[in-house]
Amino acid sequence: MNTMFLSIDKLRKTYGAVVAVDNVSLEVPEGEFLTFLGPSGSGKSTTLYALAGFDEPSAGDIRLRGASILSTPSHKRNIGMVFQRYTLFPHLSVHENIAFPLRVRHQSASDIAARVKAMLTLVRLEGYGARMPAHLSGGQQQRVALARALAYDPPVLLMDEPLSALDKKLREEIQIEIRRIHQETGVTILYVTHDQEEALRLSDRIAVFNHGRIEQVGTGRELYHNPATRFVAGFVGDSNFLEVADAEVRGERARITFPDGTTLANVPVHGGASASGTGELMVRPQSLRLSTDGSGLPVRVRDVTFLGDTSTVLFETAWGQEIWLRAAASQINNATPGANCHLEWNATESHWFA
Amino acid sequence: MSQTTVAVERSPRRGRGIGPAVPAMLLLALFFIIPVFSLLLRSVTEPELGLQNYGELFATSTYARVFFNTFMVATVVTAVTLIIAYPVAWLLAIMPQRHANLVMAVILISMWTNLLARTYAWMVLLQRTGVINTTLMKLGLISEPLALVKNLTGVTIGMTYIMLPFVILPLYATIRAIDPSTLQAAALCGAGRWQAFRRVLLPLSAPGAAAGGLMVFVMSLGYFVTPALLGGASNMMLAEMIAQLVQSLLNWGLGSAAAFVLLVVTLAIYALQIRFFGGMR
Repeated sequence: MNTMFLSIDKLRKTYGAVVAVDNVSLEVPEGEFLTFLGPSGSGKSTTLYALAGFDEPSAGDIRLRGASILSTPSHKRNIGMVFQRYTLFPHLSVHENIAFPLRVRHQSASDIAARVKAMLTLVRLEGYGARMPAHLSGGQQQRVALARALAYDPPVLLMDEPLSALDKKLREEIQIEIRRIHQETGVTILYVTHDQEEALRLSDRIAVFNHGRIEQVGTGRELYHNPATRFVAGFVGDSNFLEVADAEVRGERARITFPDGTTLANVPVHGGASASGTGELMVRPQSLRLSTDGSGLPVRVRDVTFLGDTSTVLFETAWGQEIWLRAAASQINNATPGANCHLEWNATESHWFA
Repeated sequence: MSQTTVAVERSPRRGRGIGPAVPAMLLLALFFIIPVFSLLLRSVTEPELGLQNYGELFATSTYARVFFNTFMVATVVTAVTLIIAYPVAWLLAIMPQRHANLVMAVILISMWTNLLARTYAWMVLLQRTGVINTTLMKLGLISEPLALVKNLTGVTIGMTYIMLPFVILPLYATIRAIDPSTLQAAALCGAGRWQAFRRVLLPLSAPGAAAGGLMVFVMSLGYFVTPALLGGASNMMLAEMIAQLVQSLLNWGLGSAAAFVLLVVTLAIYALQIRFFGGMR
C-alpha cells in the first residue's frame, strides 16, 4: 500500500467537556497546499497546534511518511511554522533570526551564511539582514518569519492565519508571494484561515471546519459549485438561502415549491437528504437574472447599490425573505426600488438542503 | 501628523517643569545630600585634614578583609538569588493566573514579615542544635553539627532568602511580557529547553535580571541586620564595621570614609547598569 505523505487519523481534542476537534481525518499528499478554513473556534487552529506539538491530542494519530509524530517533542519534529502574531526574536537581527534554527542545529558558519542569503533572496528581502525586527513593517516581519521557518528545509510548513494582522492590499501582495514560494520550494503547506477568499486564492485543496469537524474537503471549485453541506454553501462564496415549503425528491434531483407557490424543477439535492420535505434552497447572487418574460420568482426591489463594475440589487420575496443578486450594471437598468419583477436562474446552479 | 499632535499635547506638561518635585527635592537635600556632604567632609577632616582615613582603610588588612567579605557575600548572594529566581519567575509566568497569584502572595507575605523575626527564624534553623543540623544527624548524613551560623555561610543563606523577592518580582514582570508564541517559535525552530532558555528567554529577560541583580547587590553591600545576627565577630561586613567604628570607637573620620567608599562603589555599579541595560525601568 502506498503510504500517504501526511495523514491525520481520527484526531480528537477535548478540553474538559468541550470538544475542540472531533474525529478529524485528512490525507495530505507531498507538496500540496491545503487550507483549513472555518470560523473561529471551529477546531482548525487546534488541529494545526497538534501538528506543531503544542497541544497533545486526546485521541487519534498524526503520521508523517507513515511514522507517528505524536511522541516527538516540538523541537525535534523539524516542522516549520509561521504564526498569527509576529514571533521574530526581538533581540536578534533579521539575519540572526533566519540563522537561529541553523545555529541550534550546530551548522557551520559558512553553511549558515549561504543558507540565510538564499532565504533572504527567496522572500525578496536582500539587504535587510542587518535590520532589527522592530524596524520592519508587519508584512516584512512575516516574510522573515517565513524565511526562518523554511531555512531548515522542513517537510511541512504550518501557517496559522499569518496575514490576519495586515491590511487588505498588503495581504494580497503577500498571498502572491506565498504562492510563488510554495511553487519554488515545493514544501507541503497547511494553512489556517477564516477568510474564504484567501483560502480560494492560495490553496490546492480546502478543508472546511465547523464545530470541530471537517464538513468537506475539496478544491475551491468543488466547494463552490458542489457544496456538501449547508454550512459549506454559506461559508464559501456569497449565497442566498430561500425557504422551501415542499420538495419532492426524485433521485439526485428535486422539484421544490416556495411558500408563495412558485415551483422549480431539477434542483440538485445535498446534505444526504433523500426524503421529501421542507428545507432551504441556496442560490449564488451572480446566478440570478431579472426575467424578461414574466416567468420565475415574483419579487419586489428594495434597494440598488452601484459598485462600479457590478451592481447589487436587494429584493424581497412575497413571504418577506431577502434575496440579492449581483450583475453587470447594464443588465439591471430597469430595477428601481419598489418595482415588481421576477427572478430566474439555472436550476442546476442552485442547491437544496433538507 | 499624529506625532505633531503628541508633541503639542506634551510640551505644556513638560514646560510646567520641576514645580511638583520641589518638596521631594527639598527633603532629599535636607536629609540626604547635606548629610552625605558632611560625611565626606568628616572623612577628610577628622582627626586632621587629609586623606589618611582612606589610606588607613585600604592599608589595614583587617579593613581590607571586611571589604573583601562584603563584596564576596554580595556577589554570592546576587548569583544564588538569580539562579533560584529564574525557575521561580518562569513557573510563575507560565502557571495559571490563579495559582500564580497564590505563590505571589506567599512571596509578598514573606517579604512583608518583620525582618528581625525572619532573621531569628533562620538562627533557629541553622544553629548547632537547630532543625537542619538535628535532621541531618538523625538521617546519618553528618556526624558533627555543621557550622551554619555565626559565620559567612549563615549570612549568605539568610541574605539570599531575604533578597529573593527583589529578583523574582522584576524578573517575573519581564518574563511575563515575553510573548509565549516567541518561545513556541523557538521550539519549532529546533531549540530544546536549554537552547530556548539560553538563546531567547535569557537575552529577553536580561534587563529584568540586571535590575533585580543590581538591587540585590547594592542592598547586600550595605546590609546590617542579617550579617549582625547571623554573622560572626571575626567575619564582619562593611555596615557592621561602620556601626562599630562610629558607635563603639567614636571614630567618625574612619567610619565616614568607609561609608563614602561604599557610596562611590554603589554609584559606579549603578552607572555600569545604566550603560549596559538603560537603567531600571
